[in-house]
Amino acid sequence: MDAFWNSIALYNEATWLWQLVFVVLSAALAIVLWVRPCTWAKIAVKVLMVLESLWIAFVYYMKFCGIREHSNVMTIFWCMVAAAWVYDLATHFSSFQKSGKHVSWGVLMLILPLLYPVFSLIRGMSFPEMTTPMLPSGVALYMLGMLMTFNRKINFFAFIFILHWAFIAISKIRLFNIPEDALLAAACLPAMFIFFGEAAERACAGSSKPSVRAVKTLIFFVVLLIGICMVASYV
Amino acid sequence: MTNDRIVEIADFIARYLSFMLGAGVHTSRVVRNSKRIGEALGVGVSIYTSQKTATLTVSVPGSSQRDTRVVDIPAYPISFEWNADLSALSWAAFDKKMSLEEIRGRFDEIVSKPKMNPVFVLLMVGLANASFCRLFGGDIWAMLITFTATLIGFFTRQHLTKKKVNHYIVFVISAFVASLCASTALSLGIETAEIALATSVLYLVPGVPLINGVIDITDGHIQIGISRLVNALMLIVCIAIGMSATLMLVKDSLL
Repeated sequence: MDAFWNSIALYNEATWLWQLVFVVLSAALAIVLWVRPCTWAKIAVKVLMVLESLWIAFVYYMKFCGIREHSNVMTIFWCMVAAAWVYDLATHFSSFQKSGKHVSWGVLMLILPLLYPVFSLIRGMSFPEMTTPMLPSGVALYMLGMLMTFNRKINFFAFIFILHWAFIAISKIRLFNIPEDALLAAACLPAMFIFFGEAAERACAGSSKPSVRAVKTLIFFVVLLIGICMVASYV
Repeated sequence: MTNDRIVEIADFIARYLSFMLGAGVHTSRVVRNSKRIGEALGVGVSIYTSQKTATLTVSVPGSSQRDTRVVDIPAYPISFEWNADLSALSWAAFDKKMSLEEIRGRFDEIVSKPKMNPVFVLLMVGLANASFCRLFGGDIWAMLITFTATLIGFFTRQHLTKKKVNHYIVFVISAFVASLCASTALSLGIETAEIALATSVLYLVPGVPLINGVIDITDGHIQIGISRLVNALMLIVCIAIGMSATLMLVKDSLL
């Protein structure tokens, strides 16, 4: 656990200015996409997603978390997340357009990464040994927020990678004493219900079985089961 | 019986057996069912099957009238529903002495039933693999990681299959992606991380071709049995390649 928090402290101390640039850029692009959605903004957001994924892969995991066992796995994993966004750039998988649904959820999720340092400060931690929005879970939460806010057609590949990361984060809450990751855990379960439900509706455009209602019920119970498992493992 | 009638019967039975073989039914059952339908319609049926094509001859007993068809076997998804319903159709045709038009009508109804929702399949495969993880001794964290690793691997497989990528390549990539995602459990230091890694690719194991291959060989259809086993073996090799790539990247060894 010490190695975990020491690596975060080293990372924050050395890269706080870069992290600030990323946060400002992320916020600015989210606002531009909200106010004036245009092609360049959509492409810029996808490029930003690639850059943030590669930043986490190479700067955070490869450079600052090298002392941790199996940190190379995480580097490869985040490269795969970056690959999912590059694929999106090439194939226009996601449209980054508002659909009018779940907007308040999306906005809430976009704000949540900013609560990471607040949460740490409330826990009595201080800079540099504290969480920031540019840690993997904060970045995953930002991606989830962007997918939720601009959800007309989402990058499902990126979403399930984020979901996988969220489940890793859930286990880290107890294993590495990082309760801030509960924010990502709390956000990922409703997102799972919404995105899987919408994917089931889209897949049912012709006719398929079981009915969309039955699939949504199954998704609800899976989400509920995961939530119960999470709570039960901490009680 | 007129020649036109024989042609109609041959066309229908050719279609019937190509659907059954394509949906993963073992050869002796397909042959038995096709012969049963032929018997119900008053003709004899002789069938030769291989991995990609089937040849059948429909003949009228006691006459020199016969008609031969060579059909390609399409690659449908494995369907136990088609297996059961089409087998039941052959019995219904035999017991109720159904006409060709009635059999054809029932057949069209069965094959045009709605397909499984891919999201439903995706979730069920994820849950099945998480359950396997539990059966092999994985804890709750390993199960959750296996669940999402399987979702990613299986979604990759669905997506690449839709793009008509060669299915051996699909297997290598899916196995690599699923096992690599599951290997993230190693970084958490949980005790059952290796169980998550091992069970994340179980959804790819070609169980139906393996079982059909063995059944075909024991029933005397040696050629198609061996073809099916070789095909299954190739898929297992593909899984091994994908998983080995992950192990070499993550652990720097295969053990």
